[in-house]
Amino acid sequence: MKRPTSTVAIAAATVLALSSCGFGERSGTDDGEATTLSLLVPTYSDNTTPLWEEIIADFEAQHEDITVTLEVQSWDNINDVIRTKVQSNDAPDILNIDAFAGFAADDLLYSVEDVVSPETLADFQDSFAANASIDGTMYGLPLIASARTMFYNTDLFDQAGVAEPPSTWDELLDTATKIDALGDDIYGYGMPLGSEEAQAETSIWTFGNGGSWTDGEEITVLTPENLEAVEYMKSVIDAGVTQPDPGATDRTPMFDVFIAGKMGMVEGLPPTVGQIAERNPDLNYDTAPIPTKDGSPMTLGVADHLMAFKNDGTKQDAITAFLDFFFSQDVYTKFVDTEGFLPTTKSGADALADKEEIASFLEALPNAQFYPSTHPKWSATQGAIQSLIGQIGQGSDPEAVLTEIQNTVDAP
Amino acid sequence: MATEATATTTPGRANRTSETTVWQHRTRRRQGTPRWMMALAGAVIALVFLAPYLIMVIGSFKRRSEILGIPPTYLPTEWVPSNYLTMWSTPETPLPYNMVSTIVISVGGTLLVLAVALPAAYYTARHRFPGKWVFLLLVLITQMLQPTVLAAGLFRQFQAAGIYDTWLAMILVNGAFNLSFAVWIMHSFFAGVPREVEEAAMMDGATKLQILRLVTLPLVWPGIVTAVIFAFVASWNEFAASLVILTTAENQPLSVAITKFVGQYDSAWQYVFGVSIVGIVPVVILFAIVEKRLVAGLTAGAVK
Amino acid sequence: MTAETRAAPSSSRRRHRRQDVLAALPWLLPALLLIMAIVLFPAGFMAWTSTREMSTVGVDQGSAGLGNFTALLDFPGLRRVLLNTVIWVVGVVAVTLVISMGLAQFLDKAFPGRRLVRLAVIVPWAASVVMTAIVFYYGLDPFYGVINHFLVDIGLLDGTFGFTRRPVPAFLVSMTVAVFVSLPFTTYTILAGLQMVPGDLIEAARVDGAGALRTYRSVTLPILRPAIAVAVLINIINVFNSLPILRTITGSIPGHQADTTTTLIFKFIQQYRQIDTASALSVLNFAIVLAVIGVYLALVKPMRQD
Repeated sequence: MKRPTSTVAIAAATVLALSSCGFGERSGTDDGEATTLSLLVPTYSDNTTPLWEEIIADFEAQHEDITVTLEVQSWDNINDVIRTKVQSNDAPDILNIDAFAGFAADDLLYSVEDVVSPETLADFQDSFAANASIDGTMYGLPLIASARTMFYNTDLFDQAGVAEPPSTWDELLDTATKIDALGDDIYGYGMPLGSEEAQAETSIWTFGNGGSWTDGEEITVLTPENLEAVEYMKSVIDAGVTQPDPGATDRTPMFDVFIAGKMGMVEGLPPTVGQIAERNPDLNYDTAPIPTKDGSPMTLGVADHLMAFKNDGTKQDAITAFLDFFFSQDVYTKFVDTEGFLPTTKSGADALADKEEIASFLEALPNAQFYPSTHPKWSATQGAIQSLIGQIGQGSDPEAVLTEIQNTVDAP
Repeated sequence: MATEATATTTPGRANRTSETTVWQHRTRRRQGTPRWMMALAGAVIALVFLAPYLIMVIGSFKRRSEILGIPPTYLPTEWVPSNYLTMWSTPETPLPYNMVSTIVISVGGTLLVLAVALPAAYYTARHRFPGKWVFLLLVLITQMLQPTVLAAGLFRQFQAAGIYDTWLAMILVNGAFNLSFAVWIMHSFFAGVPREVEEAAMMDGATKLQILRLVTLPLVWPGIVTAVIFAFVASWNEFAASLVILTTAENQPLSVAITKFVGQYDSAWQYVFGVSIVGIVPVVILFAIVEKRLVAGLTAGAVK
Repeated sequence: MTAETRAAPSSSRRRHRRQDVLAALPWLLPALLLIMAIVLFPAGFMAWTSTREMSTVGVDQGSAGLGNFTALLDFPGLRRVLLNTVIWVVGVVAVTLVISMGLAQFLDKAFPGRRLVRLAVIVPWAASVVMTAIVFYYGLDPFYGVINHFLVDIGLLDGTFGFTRRPVPAFLVSMTVAVFVSLPFTTYTILAGLQMVPGDLIEAARVDGAGALRTYRSVTLPILRPAIAVAVLINIINVFNSLPILRTITGSIPGHQADTTTTLIFKFIQQYRQIDTASALSVLNFAIVLAVIGVYLALVKPMRQD
């Protein structure tokens, strides 16, 4: 027994000695002259990590006294990670995420004008800048924008004898009925109300009826316009012209059905164009403005933001250097272009004006309505919608569901 | 020592492992299921247990576009074994580093559990002292608490100690949360060793530590093996705490690395499945190696 | 030893006690330290959080007294969630136990290929629970799931069914997966226990004319008792705290009809951003499991060495 025991002991000692290392470097504080910035970002695609690594390498080459450590998480995990870090007073210096209002409300963020040069500040498009401000102070740096537009399958439209894409709700229902009748495994309209992004689909309908999630002060879920919209959604579901179990269908797997050519209409985003080209280039499709109640143009605008945490207040200059570098025309345009999203800066929009894939989205942008992401209770509202709205697809009454959402948001 | 113990045992299950004995047994019993039928039943059972993982294996050989094809195909129209090569150098995660991290954390955590649980289990099985049951109950209570809900507290603590984002932190976490099962299992095995054997050795002049190593340990070996396996597998697959405590990509274990392939708009399922298979195979091999000893140990442990 | 301590006068008995505790310390200290540092401190932090008002991003905003607990009790879906939790734990543990007992019995017999079958039974334990749940979720997807498709192809279903889209079917699927991943550990524990059953006792019972079932009940089962008790105890705790299976398989379903207390905790944290309520529910969860285990231990006394 002697040999095994000492082998075990040696092994244990080696492991314990090694274990206080790790491959990577921890984000540290100022080390004499050098500053280290910590950057936490989510993945949008395969390209996200290499893009950031290249940007950081270029930046560090130009600024020898600043090091940037990168942490990448998937969207599933990033909210858990940032929450744990904030709870432990160890927030990153720069974060990329959708909603910043909660952090701003807790006074954790720098205002944008403190961490970018005036030129960079002026470069942001006005609508995005306004959407990133609370009470006139801008806290979020609009990073990428997305809008929605309706994608429709022209082959299925021809087969069903539909000449024009619908522009009002009633036309939409009509078209969907015709297409759904084409076959057992063909679906008229894709309505993803599963917890992945139900708030997007729901907002498309409520905004399309002139509704809003806020009255300027409070979050208002149960309003007449919102209720009317949700009731119409339910009638579309009840007519049986959507995919089965819409209340529990997530958007990403549902798009696969459209890409496979089995769905008449979906509300798509800019990356959808690339996905179709990659997976089923033979699909015959076109885009059209989203149908609204009365046909007036509208689109859902979504913006993700960068934001800078104050932490101990010593890294303002380093953060400014990095953000100015990132939003410079060449660096920023490459980022947005590769990821397939819409630019939020004026210089970016100029550089990408001729990009065909995003043309229809850029057209719709002037009529974009955004989530009230500057309201500190928005992320909880979003979570509640994601978690509860799908119940209308399972027989629940729209008014009861909206009330439940409102109560969840108002809970102390 | 173990062989001596077997020789003194009364004829029991230990002797029924040889082929001839079983055959003799069978002729004595009226009702005996034919061996081929049992082998068939065994095959069906094995298939049921392996079915989901077969789906994984097949999926790992498909091209990304085919995995999400509608309607799905059972077998790949095009086998892509290169997935297993390309997965090591994807932009989503540095897989070779993840593998090393997983190994270090699992081995370290298991060793820690062993080092801490063994003395505790031995002492509580052998002695009575005030607070013994309090200790055992305390250990049991830790089993009920999950790393997931405790993540924020753990993070804050490790950060204060300056060791977060290190393997050491995860080794401590895995050691602590697997302690409970190890203590209880080893405790029951230690308690099952007859005192007479130990007392005989004591009379021969052996010290407490010598008795532990030379007499008791061989008899409780199956319990130790079980505890080790349990701790190792739990550490290997641990996800929630690793996610929060290990932030640098190279430090993250396989369980976290797999999630990196699931993006917001698109997922590389073929890698999700492939990396999972890569994660399962070492554990199965480990068990295959240990199982022989486990069975031998189990039958030798039939001394009472 | 017992006789000695009883005969000694009370003052030296106290001395003995203290000595006993001190003698035990070096053996127990590492375990105690590890538990206190890694488990008890964060648990205390969680209990502390349950009495605080937390902002949606995790910043402490002052005391909430018992407000989080009352908010919890007002939660509309709570009753259904508690019921689900009971069904989940009782159903999964019971089914796992019954199947394991039969499976262990089978794996104990010698037949060609037994080693491979035993290895196959281990695989769900070797694989991470998340991965197993993901394969089932992927396979049961109504559009591209191979399992769903297979069921249609062999005629059991008319069209693909939304197993993972409706609360009750998804809950049942989750229970099946939970049983599936619990079987390896339980089977092996009982298998180890079976090794303790002396062959000649079984033979004697057979010779006396007892049927297989009677033999099992009167000879095997009593000896298996400690192994079964340990397996059930560990299973109750693990199944109660189980998160990945339910989350993966019922994750896209709206509402709370397929939730247990554990998944509800995570919905509070991740969707509703109510960390304080989540902590309160965690404390409640812990109290429930403590009570269940307490009752179980009192009834079964698995540690009794007889």
